[in-house]
Amino acid sequence: MSFFHSKKKRLGRRTFLRGAVGGSAVALGLPLLDAMLPSRTAAAEDLAGDPLFGLFYWANGTPWHAGHGAEQGAGPADLWTPAETGPGYTPSELLAPLAAHQVSVATGLEPHTEIPAQPPGQGDGHMRGFMVAMTGDRIRPEGFDHPSHTLTALRPTLDQYIAKHADFYGDAPPRFRSLEVGISGARFHDYGHWNAISYNGPDAQNPAIMDPAQLYAKLFNVPDDLVALGRRARLIDAIHDDAKGLRQRLGSGDRQRLDDHLDHLREIQRRLELTSGTCELAPAMPADSSDVLLKTATVAELIAVALHCDLTRVFSFMLTSPATTHSFANLGVPDGMHKTCHDGAWENVRKITLYQMQAFALLLDAMAAIKDPMENSLLDRALVYGVSEYGEGWKHSVKEMPVVLAGGCNGAINRGVHVREPGGNLCKVHTTILRALGIECPSYGFNGAETTEHLTGILA
Amino acid sequence: MWSRAPYPFDRRLWALGLSLGLAGCYSGGSGDETDGGATSASASASTTASGSASATAGDSEGDSDSETGEEPPLPFIPGPPTLPRLTVSQYNNTVGDLFGGPLPSPALEPDTNPYLFFNIGAASTTVSEVGVQRYEEAAELLTQAVFADPARREALVGCVPEAADDACAAGFLETFGRRAMRRPLTGEERQRWIGIAAELADGDPWQGLRMAVSGMLQSPNFLYRVELGEVDVEASAAGDKEVRRYTGWEMATRLSYLLWNTTPDDQLLAAAEAGLLDTSVGILGEAERLLADPRAATTIQAFFAQYLDLGRLGHVERDPELYPLYTPGLAEAMRTELELLVDDFISREGADIRGLFTTRSTFVNSDLAAVYGVDAPGATPITFVPVELPEDGPRAGILTLGAFLTMNAHATETSPTLRGRYLRERVLCETVPAPPDDVDTNIPEPDGEAKTLRERLEQHRADPTCAGCHAFIDPPGFLFEHFDSIGSFRELDNGYPIDSTGELDGKPLNDARDLAGALAEDARVARCMVTQLYRHTAGRLEVPEERPGLRDVEEAFKAAGYSYRELLLAFVTSEAFRTVATPEAE
Repeated sequence: MSFFHSKKKRLGRRTFLRGAVGGSAVALGLPLLDAMLPSRTAAAEDLAGDPLFGLFYWANGTPWHAGHGAEQGAGPADLWTPAETGPGYTPSELLAPLAAHQVSVATGLEPHTEIPAQPPGQGDGHMRGFMVAMTGDRIRPEGFDHPSHTLTALRPTLDQYIAKHADFYGDAPPRFRSLEVGISGARFHDYGHWNAISYNGPDAQNPAIMDPAQLYAKLFNVPDDLVALGRRARLIDAIHDDAKGLRQRLGSGDRQRLDDHLDHLREIQRRLELTSGTCELAPAMPADSSDVLLKTATVAELIAVALHCDLTRVFSFMLTSPATTHSFANLGVPDGMHKTCHDGAWENVRKITLYQMQAFALLLDAMAAIKDPMENSLLDRALVYGVSEYGEGWKHSVKEMPVVLAGGCNGAINRGVHVREPGGNLCKVHTTILRALGIECPSYGFNGAETTEHLTGILA
Repeated sequence: MWSRAPYPFDRRLWALGLSLGLAGCYSGGSGDETDGGATSASASASTTASGSASATAGDSEGDSDSETGEEPPLPFIPGPPTLPRLTVSQYNNTVGDLFGGPLPSPALEPDTNPYLFFNIGAASTTVSEVGVQRYEEAAELLTQAVFADPARREALVGCVPEAADDACAAGFLETFGRRAMRRPLTGEERQRWIGIAAELADGDPWQGLRMAVSGMLQSPNFLYRVELGEVDVEASAAGDKEVRRYTGWEMATRLSYLLWNTTPDDQLLAAAEAGLLDTSVGILGEAERLLADPRAATTIQAFFAQYLDLGRLGHVERDPELYPLYTPGLAEAMRTELELLVDDFISREGADIRGLFTTRSTFVNSDLAAVYGVDAPGATPITFVPVELPEDGPRAGILTLGAFLTMNAHATETSPTLRGRYLRERVLCETVPAPPDDVDTNIPEPDGEAKTLRERLEQHRADPTCAGCHAFIDPPGFLFEHFDSIGSFRELDNGYPIDSTGELDGKPLNDARDLAGALAEDARVARCMVTQLYRHTAGRLEVPEERPGLRDVEEAFKAAGYSYRELLLAFVTSEAFRTVATPEAE
């Protein structure tokens, strides 16, 4: 495996920026970065930059075909799976929008988690498929309620597992361990994973920032009065002290909720104490848009700039939320997407899926557009996991889960490869991703989905 | 996924399903359900794993037995405490009351509403890092706004501090702390905030005070409602489980957030301090005072909006080509109509709130008047006027009005299943289990025989796997078939005459008007309202041991002629509102 699997602490790009500017909000563009390069003494591998991880989520899988089940396959063709496997495959109709970025895909995979008989309904693709794709584990059976669609995760989703793993950030995390952003506000419910896809653990979610202006403010509007920021940081110590008495009086569940809150406060304190680490690149204050592609391009650019300035190295991008009710009226689809799937409107689902892949391509475009002086793009450094909740939405089959692995991950991922393994364990995706990012991973997957294997054709 | 409606669920049900062989669906036809008997279909909360859930199934059977009169009634045993964060509206109302005057609107993490209620989301979920950052930024923003204006900060503080730890400053922090934390500060807490004011003043006592106030607004003691009670020795001795009784300060908080959705005012805190909230009489007096204030009406509206799931109206979209009467403001008008109706019922002295499900009096703007086909002199798109729906017309009660009919229909066709399910879950608090994992939930495409949606659904129901549940939800759902996806009356579906006959628990009914008559005599309607009020208040589903306490409240509700105001007064003075179990240590 390639060099960045080593565990040694590398000089982070953030350290580099901090050296460049002492004090107020950093104005740092590419020319400045160029100018500073000669003085840098880091080893060649550092010039590639630390690896990045992104998660791109779209709702309601792909249009159904025979691979999803005999019933589903009564008519329509498989427009997702490329005809050939191996490197240099010819992109399928639905993968064509991503072709320019030579994405790798794994097809045929499915969840291997056990499905407890009680409470009933844990096999539902919207729920089981989502959890396995995102966490490698099943839904938490305790408190699961299929009728009201109330459920939670047993463990963090992959983005948070990575963002909190010592092998990934070491002791020098960037300003934000992760960013969570979203595009479509349509949702099946205003709670649970219908509403937010990133989990820290059970009942602890990270709602996506849906408003580009809010994202912009979070990334770039950092006050420059360091003394005032320092006071706000010191105040947090007092808040911690004030919570101690309360903590003692709580039952275990609420104590855990409070502890998580207090941990978040420490992270905010750390950020307040940072004397630099922000950046100011070209993007003007962005406008919101109800057009999915326009908004995607806007948010993708903000994400790309944030990655470039090392404000974070992990993000999740929720284009549409699970079982989305988003109405793609611009494509001539009369109903919300969830009902469109249920009504068996295959042609409309095809159109919507193609459109969602066009949005995915916009994210990859933005990441490919920003390059360092060595001509390495953000996408060259990144591994972007494209994922949905199940194979198809008409009957909720979790066979043939769509998996896209985009980006080169500094050479750890072979690009443009199609690996096909019908019935294979979906958690091989997780081991592949974790190993590519240099995270110790002897096995991944839980409750029946354990695997030590990765996707051999894709992991370099 | 077969429907988009969330609904309460008995976590014990799957255990019951095992023990009673309950395969497909709970069927509501038993005498128990209609005469006020078994509560096996109403939801209960159990945060425990399968083992203890199985154990509670036995309790439930015992509960049913007790209703036959052969055993003494089960005692009320309070369930575990919750630790709800302030919801967004509670936070905004609270800081508004603490500071007075205009304030900026900080962005906060949005609330979630599992099991319908924001309080349940606030009590069951963990705030995210972004959410905590927003609290930090909100505290900064609000205190900057208040302290930037010399007149305003002096009005708030009540004196001019010479130093951040002088008598003026210390007195203010003690007074403000009591209001913010909804109880007096302990000596240690007082010293902490005085100390931090001095430490962060940097020569400016106002700045020190501002920072201390900002710290209080970020403290979990402020952001969470800490209501844990004190051990009630007498009540604990009576049973085998420790019972805790909310302190007067906690009662002030509970009353205030339930009835005003904000922090207790000075008079309520004074009542707590004087010990008045340790007695039913004192609680009653304060509750009556709070209910007389306009803020109570707003807060009750918010409860009804959650209980009736009106938030879903925000997602309604209809094609004007298909529905010429559909206007962009129609869904909002439907919501306003329900708000006006609820307001009418809660403001009229002694009105029977169950009349919501039978009334022919409503309020319409010109758009709704067109949908209902009624004359409404004076109505405009923005003016609502009271109207009396015709006695021989098809409508009576909110289940024949726009909001229910529209949000429980699809964009292009109605949904007897969604409508029947809403009736079962929202109005009657019954549980409709989900279809089995392997079942096809799609309604068959029309074949040569089926002409209407009803006929297609009946084909679907011929499948024995589906019949169990659909026999439970579809027959009452068919009663609404004369109303299309925006609630307009229609005679034809797909060009064929509509058959709107159906039944509820074996009782044949002709249409939705008939159903209103049946609901007027159905004990489940009032019981469900009590149950939902309890969930909203507790921030969780009720546990089985709490049901006897809710039954007492229900009896008082009945005795008071089902006045909603009287329900609230009976509830806040009941043991169900005043006591709580000791937290589980695990």
